[in-house]
Amino acid sequence: GLLLAALLVSHMLLTKEGVTSLPICPNGSVNCQLSLEELFDRAVKLSHYIHFLSSEMFSEFDERYAQGRGFIAKAVNSCHTASLTTPEDKEQAQQIHHEDLLNLILGVLRSWNDPLIHLASEVQRIKEAPETILWKAVEIEEQNKRLLEGMEKIVGRVHSGEVENDIYTPWDGLPSLQLADEDSRLFAFYNLLHCLRRDSHKIDNYLKVLKCRLIHNNNC
Amino acid sequence: DLLQWPQISKCRSPEMETFSCFWTVGNFYNLTVPRILQLLYKKSNEEDWKECPDYITSGQNSCYFNASYTSVWTPYCVQLASKNEVYDKKCFSVDEIVLPDPPVHLNWTLLNTSQTGIHGDIQVRWDPPPTADVRKGWITLEYELQYKEVNETKWKELKPRLSTMVPLYSLKTARDYEIRIRSRQRTSEKFGEFSEILYVSFSQIGIGCDHCTEEVEFPWFLVLVFGVCGLAVTVISITLSKQPRLKMLIFPPVPVPKIKGIDPDLLKKGKLDEVNSILACHDNCKTQLYSDDLWVEFIELDIEDPDEKNRASDTDRLLSEDHLKSHSSLGAKDDDSGRASCCEPDIPETDFSASDTCDATSDSDQLKKATKKEDDLLCLDRQDNYESLPRLANTDPQCQHRNTQSENSQLWAPFGDSVESPCPSVHTQISNQNSLASTDFYAQVSDITPAGRVVLSPGQKSKLGRAQHEGCTEQNFTMDNTYFCEADVKKCIAVTSHEENEPHVQEQGYNEDGYFTTESLTTTAANLGASLAAPPSSEMPVADYTSIHIVQSPQGLVLNATALPVPDKEFNMSCGYVSTDQLNKIMP
Repeated sequence: GLLLAALLVSHMLLTKEGVTSLPICPNGSVNCQLSLEELFDRAVKLSHYIHFLSSEMFSEFDERYAQGRGFIAKAVNSCHTASLTTPEDKEQAQQIHHEDLLNLILGVLRSWNDPLIHLASEVQRIKEAPETILWKAVEIEEQNKRLLEGMEKIVGRVHSGEVENDIYTPWDGLPSLQLADEDSRLFAFYNLLHCLRRDSHKIDNYLKVLKCRLIHNNNC
Repeated sequence: DLLQWPQISKCRSPEMETFSCFWTVGNFYNLTVPRILQLLYKKSNEEDWKECPDYITSGQNSCYFNASYTSVWTPYCVQLASKNEVYDKKCFSVDEIVLPDPPVHLNWTLLNTSQTGIHGDIQVRWDPPPTADVRKGWITLEYELQYKEVNETKWKELKPRLSTMVPLYSLKTARDYEIRIRSRQRTSEKFGEFSEILYVSFSQIGIGCDHCTEEVEFPWFLVLVFGVCGLAVTVISITLSKQPRLKMLIFPPVPVPKIKGIDPDLLKKGKLDEVNSILACHDNCKTQLYSDDLWVEFIELDIEDPDEKNRASDTDRLLSEDHLKSHSSLGAKDDDSGRASCCEPDIPETDFSASDTCDATSDSDQLKKATKKEDDLLCLDRQDNYESLPRLANTDPQCQHRNTQSENSQLWAPFGDSVESPCPSVHTQISNQNSLASTDFYAQVSDITPAGRVVLSPGQKSKLGRAQHEGCTEQNFTMDNTYFCEADVKKCIAVTSHEENEPHVQEQGYNEDGYFTTESLTTTAANLGASLAAPPSSEMPVADYTSIHIVQSPQGLVLNATALPVPDKEFNMSCGYVSTDQLNKIMP
C-alpha cells in the first residue's frame, strides 16, 4: 500500500504537462545515463512543442489585438537575437559545425530566458487578455527552461573541447512592453511574439537537422 | 467590369529553400503594353529595392527566388510596380509561406480480406515530395490521406500523420476506390496540393467478388420493429402484472402532496381520536413543529407556564366533539387567490381553511358561518357585530362551541399544544349561525386569507364583535394589515376569558392581513370557568390573544405577549394589537 502510494506520488511528480516524460532510467540502473538519442528525442519534442505554442499564441494575439491596427503592414522590426549569426538556409545549416550550432542554439535559448519571464508577467496586464494567451506564455517560459537544461546536457555530451558560454544577447524590450500608449504597447507585444515564433521555429529546425545528422546519419 | 489592379496573388516556398511569388495583371490592358510590371523585393535589413532575379522559372506572372536569394527567417517585402506606380506590396518571411509539394509514388498492397471475401484491408504507401529535404531534417512533413468510392462525391479524411504509410480497413472488395494525399509542414495550418489520385481496384488482383454485390447491411428495420414490439410487450406485462413490487420498480408512484405528520387517509376516515392523538402532541412536539414550519417559527408564544398544563386536558375535552370535520381544518389549503373582499361567501370546500374569506366547510355549516361571521368581524362588518353582541350571553353555551373550535384549531394548528378553547360552548355557538352572541369569548383563527384577513371560527367572533362594537365607530378597523387596533379591540372585547384560537397554521400563503390570535389557553380557560378542566388561577388575567407583530408577510409572525397596561390607559402601542395581558386586564 505504501509502496504503491509512493510510486504514484513519484510518478505524478515526474510526469509533467505538455510533454510526456520518458523514463529517466530504464531498467532502474543506478548510474544510468540517457543516451544521446534519447536526449535529442526529448529536445526535439520540447522544441516542437514550444514552437507550436508560440505559433498559436501569435495567431491568437494577431486575431484578437492586431486586426485593424496595421501591425502587419509595418515591416517587422528586427528581433533582439538578430545579432546572433545563425544559419539562414539549408546550406549554411549543413556547413556549420555541430558544436557551433549547439552553442548557437544554447545562446538563443538563453537570450530568450529573460524576455519570456517578462512576457509571462506583462501579458497579464493586457486588457482582457484571453486565458489561453496567458496560459501559453507561462507554459512557454517553463518549457524553455527545460529545453535549456536538456541542451546543456547534450552540449556536455557532445562537446569535445571547452564549452563556450558566451553566446548571448541581452534583451532591452521591457520598457516597450510597459508603454502607456496601448497601441505602442500592443505593437511591442506583437513584435515580441512574432520574434518568438520565428526563433522557436529556428531552434526546432536546427535541432532536427542535428538529430538527423548526428543520430540518424542524415537519413531520417 | 470592375477595374482590377495588378495584384500579388501569393508567395510560396515548397521546401524552405526557394520561393516564388505570383501575381495577376488585372484588366489594365493599357498598362501592360507601355509599361511592364516589375516585382521588386527587399530584405528587411536592406534599403534598396531590387528586381526579381527570375521571371521565367515559375511560369508567367511569377518571380522565382532560388536558394541563393532565399534566407529563411529573414523578413522580405515584395512589391508589384511599374515604372512609377506601386500596385501591391507584401511582407513575409520564408518560414511562413511553406506549402510543400504533393507526395509521390502512391501505391497500395493488400493486407488481408474478410472470410466472406466481401471486405478487405489495404496498406497505402507513398514517398514525400522530392523537393522537400526530409532526410536531413530540414523540413518535417505531415500527410493527410483522403479516400472514397469511385462513384461517391464526398471524400473521407484520415487524421494527419507523420508516417508515409497508412492502412485502410474494411474496404468493399466489390467497389473501386480513389485515394489522394496532401502534405503540409508540421505546425503549419495550410496544406499543399493534392497528389495524383490512386485507384484501388480489388478485381485487378483477382479477389474481386462479383457475386457479392449484395451487401449484408445491418437490418435496421427488423431491429426497430422487434425492439418496439418487445418493449411494448414488456411494458404491458409490467403494467398488468400482479406483482406490485415489480410495478413499483419500473413505474414508481408519483408522490402526492403530504403534510408531515398527517395522514390524509386517516383524516378522511374521520377517526378523530386517532387523529387527535397524532396531533395532540404536547409540549415536546412544539419545537419540532416549529422547526418544520417556517411560519410557525416566527410565532413566539410567550405564555406563562401554568397555563400550559391545562391545554392538554382542554384539548382532549375539546376533541371529544367530533362534529367538526377534522380533515377540513387539516386540509386547510390556501387556495385563495387574492380575494379582495373577505366577506364573499365562497363555495364551501372540505377544508374550511380553504377560504380565508367566508368559506365554510360543508360539513360544518355552523363553523362555516361562524367563520363567515368572523370574517365579517374582521371585515369590519359592524352590523353583524352589533347583532350578535346582544346575544353573547353566558359563556357556558359558548363553551361547547369552543370545543369544536378548539378541536379545529387543534387539528390544524399544531403549535405545540393545541388550541384550547376552554369553552365547549363554542359548539352551540356554531350552531347558531347568525349569532355572535352565542359565540364564545374567543374565536379561533381558522385560517388566514392571502388578503390578510383572518378567518375566525365562531368563538372569536363574539369577542371581536364586542370589541368592534364599542370601538368600531371610533376607529377604522381597516387595520393595517394584521391586527386590530388595540383600543378598538379593547373596547370591543367583552369577554376576556375565551381562549383564543390558535392561529391556523398553514404553510401556504397567509398574507399580510392575517390576524392571529394566539391562545393563552389558561387564560381563556380560567375565564370560561364552567367546563374548563383546570382553570388557571383566576387572578391571572388571561389574554384572549397575544399581540402579534407580523414579521414577514405571509408566513412570519411574531407574537408578543406583553403586559397589559391599565385598562383605562389608551393602548396605543403600535396600533394594531393588544397583548394578551392587556386584554385580560381590560376584560371584565
